[in-house]
Amino acid sequence: MEHRTMSRRRFLGASLGGAGAGLLTLSGCGTAEGSASAGSDHLSLWYWKGSLSDKLLATARRGVPGVPGLKVKGSQVPDGDIDSKVRTSLAARAYVPDLTVVNNDNLATFFPDEDEFLDLRDLGAESVRDRYLDWKWKACFTPTGRMIGFPLDAGPTALYYRRDLFERAGLPHEPADVAEQIPTWEEFIAAGRTLRRKAPGKPCLVSNIGNVFQQVLLQSPKQFVDADNRFIGDQEHIRRAWDLSVDILRQGLSARITDGTPDFNGAMSGGRVATMTTAVWAINGLKDTAPKTSGSWRLTTLPDGPCNYGGSYVTLTRYCREPEAAFAFLTWLLSPANQLESYQEMALFPTTPASYADPAMHKPDPFFGGQQPIDVFGPAAQKAPVVYFSPYEETANTPFFQELANVETLGKNPERAWRDAVNTAETALTRLGVS
Amino acid sequence: MATVLDPAGAPATDERRADRRGGSTPPGGRRRHVPPLLAISPFYMLFAVFGAFPVVFSMYLSVQDWDGIGDMRFVGLKQYGWLLKDSVFWHSVLNTFEIWFLSTVPMLFLALVLAFLLHSQVRFAGAYRVAYFIPNVTSMVAMTIVFGSVFAQAGLANALLRAVGLDGIGWLSSEWGIKASVSIMIIWRWVGYNALIFLAGLQAIPTEHFEAARVDGANSWQTLFRVVVPQLRPVVLFAAVTSTINGLQIFTESQVLFQSTDVGTTGGPGQEGMTIVLYLWQKAFKEHQFGYGAAMGWLLFAIIAVFTIINWRLVSGSDRDDRRPGIAGLLRRKGARDGR
Repeated sequence: MEHRTMSRRRFLGASLGGAGAGLLTLSGCGTAEGSASAGSDHLSLWYWKGSLSDKLLATARRGVPGVPGLKVKGSQVPDGDIDSKVRTSLAARAYVPDLTVVNNDNLATFFPDEDEFLDLRDLGAESVRDRYLDWKWKACFTPTGRMIGFPLDAGPTALYYRRDLFERAGLPHEPADVAEQIPTWEEFIAAGRTLRRKAPGKPCLVSNIGNVFQQVLLQSPKQFVDADNRFIGDQEHIRRAWDLSVDILRQGLSARITDGTPDFNGAMSGGRVATMTTAVWAINGLKDTAPKTSGSWRLTTLPDGPCNYGGSYVTLTRYCREPEAAFAFLTWLLSPANQLESYQEMALFPTTPASYADPAMHKPDPFFGGQQPIDVFGPAAQKAPVVYFSPYEETANTPFFQELANVETLGKNPERAWRDAVNTAETALTRLGVS
Repeated sequence: MATVLDPAGAPATDERRADRRGGSTPPGGRRRHVPPLLAISPFYMLFAVFGAFPVVFSMYLSVQDWDGIGDMRFVGLKQYGWLLKDSVFWHSVLNTFEIWFLSTVPMLFLALVLAFLLHSQVRFAGAYRVAYFIPNVTSMVAMTIVFGSVFAQAGLANALLRAVGLDGIGWLSSEWGIKASVSIMIIWRWVGYNALIFLAGLQAIPTEHFEAARVDGANSWQTLFRVVVPQLRPVVLFAAVTSTINGLQIFTESQVLFQSTDVGTTGGPGQEGMTIVLYLWQKAFKEHQFGYGAAMGWLLFAIIAVFTIINWRLVSGSDRDDRRPGIAGLLRRKGARDGR
C-alpha cells in the first residue's frame, strides 16, 4: 500500500519535472537558435502544395546537386496558413524556416519588417540577374532597396475566349485576328455586345466584372498606395478600371456570378460565358471545370496588353543557418533548366525567359484546339509592366472590390459605391499611417 | 437521497475524522493536498498557456499597433476609437444580430418541439436522437460546401421553390437571402444539440405532472406550453445563453460560403454576411492588424456580456414569485432598487 503511494508520487514528480524540463528546452531554443532546422543535417523550406516541384525537392532532400553536403527538406504548409505561420514563427523567434515561399500579394506585406529577411544582394544575387524577367526581379526589392525575394514563378495573363462562339457571332476568331481587332477594353466591350446579340445562347462576355477590374488594375504600374505611403486610389488609373467594369455591367454583358461557385462551374461548362481574363495558372482549373468545352477555347493577348497576375517568391529568413548554401540551392532550384522541369511537372510558369524557347514548352494543347499556350504567355510574361505594391494594398483595394460586387449583385448606384469605396479605404488607411 | 443532496458530504466527514484523530492540522495534512493538486495541475498549466495568457495578452494587444512581427507601438485607446467610427464594424454588428435573431428564435422553438416529440413514446427514439445530433459534429467546412450548392442560383433550394411554383431567390446575392442562408445553416447545426438539452430537462420533470395534465384533459399543445415550458425555465435559460454566445460568434458559415480567400468577396455581396468575428479575422489575420482585431474581440466580449445579462433577466424575470438565488435574482433585486 505504502509502496504504491510512493511510486505514484514519484511518478507524478517525475512527469512534472519532465514537463518543466520540456518547457525550459522550448524557451532555450528560442533565444539560442531560431531556425526550424537547428540541430539537423538539412535546411528547412516551407512551401504550399503545388508551389514547388516535388521531384526537385525530393532530389534536394537527398543532397543538392553542385553544393556538397547540403540537404534541403521541404515542408508543406496549407496555402491559406503559410503567411500567418511564417509571421507567428518570426514573432516567436523560434522554429523559423530557413527558406520560405511567399505569394505575390504577400511579399509587400513583409516590407515593414524587411530586416527579418536576408538581403540576397549580399549573397551575390546580381550575378544571376540576367537569367530572370526584369519586372519580376525588380519586384523582389523593398522600397529601401533590399532584395528580400527570389523569383519563383510568374503569372502572365491572356484573354481566354470561346472560338466557336466568336465565330458564330461573326467576330474575328483566330487568336492573331482577335489580338489585332480587339486591342483595347473598349473594343472588347463592343465585341461583347455582338456576342450577346448574335452568338447562340446569348452568352455573357465575362463571369463578373471584378475580374476585369483586377486586370485593368494590374496593367497599371500604379496601384492604390504609392511608394511614399500616399493613397492614390481615387485617381484616374483606378477610376478608369472602375468605369470600364461598370460599363460592362450596364450593357448587360456580365453573368454576375462569383468565380469558383457552383454557378460559375455551371456557366463555364454550359457556354454561358464566352471569355475569361486571367493568368496562366487558371488553365488547369478551367480544364477541370469545363472538360466538355475542350477544343473550343483559344488564347490571345489581353486587351490593352499583358500584365502579371500572381506568381511567387522564395525568401531567406534572418534565422537561416547557412545563407550562402541556401542561396546556392535557390540558384539551382530556380535555374532556367529546373524552371523548365517545374513547368512540365507542375505547370509553374518560368521566370527565366531562356526557358520559353525550349521545344518542351512548345507543345500543342488540345484543350485550346492545338494552340501552344506559350505563344501567348511567353510574350505576355516578357511585356508585363513593373508594378509597385505597397504593404497596405489589400487594406486599400478590398473596399473597391466589395463595392464593385455591391454594384453588380445588389444594384447599388455606381457613383455612391465609388464614393463609399474611397471613404472606407481612406478611413482604414488612416489607422495605418497612410494618408 | 441524502448523499445526492449533499455531494460535499464525503470529504467533509473525512476531514472531521482526521481532526478527531490528530487534533489541529499538522504540516503533513497540508502536504496531503499536494498529490491531488499535482494530478489536476496539467489542466491548469494548459489553461494558463492556451486560455488565460491569450485573454490577458489580447487585452494588452488592443492598446497596441502591431503587424505580428515588428515592434509594437502603444496607441492607448485609439483602436477602440477607430473601431467605434468604423462603419464596416457597425454593419457587421447589425448583421450579427440580424442573423442571430433569425437563427436563434426559430431554432430554440424547433428544438423544444423536437424534444417534446422525442420525449413521447416513439419507436427508434435513440436513432432519432443520434440523427438530430449528427449535424452538430459534422465538419462545418464540408457542410458549408454542400450548402453552397444548395443555395446556388441553380441549386437545390431554388429547385424546390420552383417545384411549388414560386420564383427562385438570390440566396447568396441578396441582403435577406444571405442572412436566411446563414441562419438556416445555423439552425440545421444547432437544433439537434438544443433538442437534446431540452430533452434532458423534460426527463427531469416528474411524470405525475404529465399524468395530472392528461387527467385534466389537456391536449399535447397545452401540455407543452402550460406544463413543460414553465418547468423548463432553467434549461431554456441555459439554451438561450449558450445560443446567444454562439450566435454572436458566427464565423465559419459566412467565411466558407463566400470564398473569403479572395479579397473583396469576404462577407458576400454588400458584406451582408459579414459578422463581427469574420471582420475580426479579416483585419487581424488577413490584413495583419492585430491590435485592431484584439480591440474588436473585447468589444464583442462586452456585447456578449450585456446580452447574456439581458437574456438572463428576460427568461428568469417573468416569474413573479421567483425565489431562486443566484446572479439573476441579484440583478432583479438591484434593478428593482435602481429603477423603481
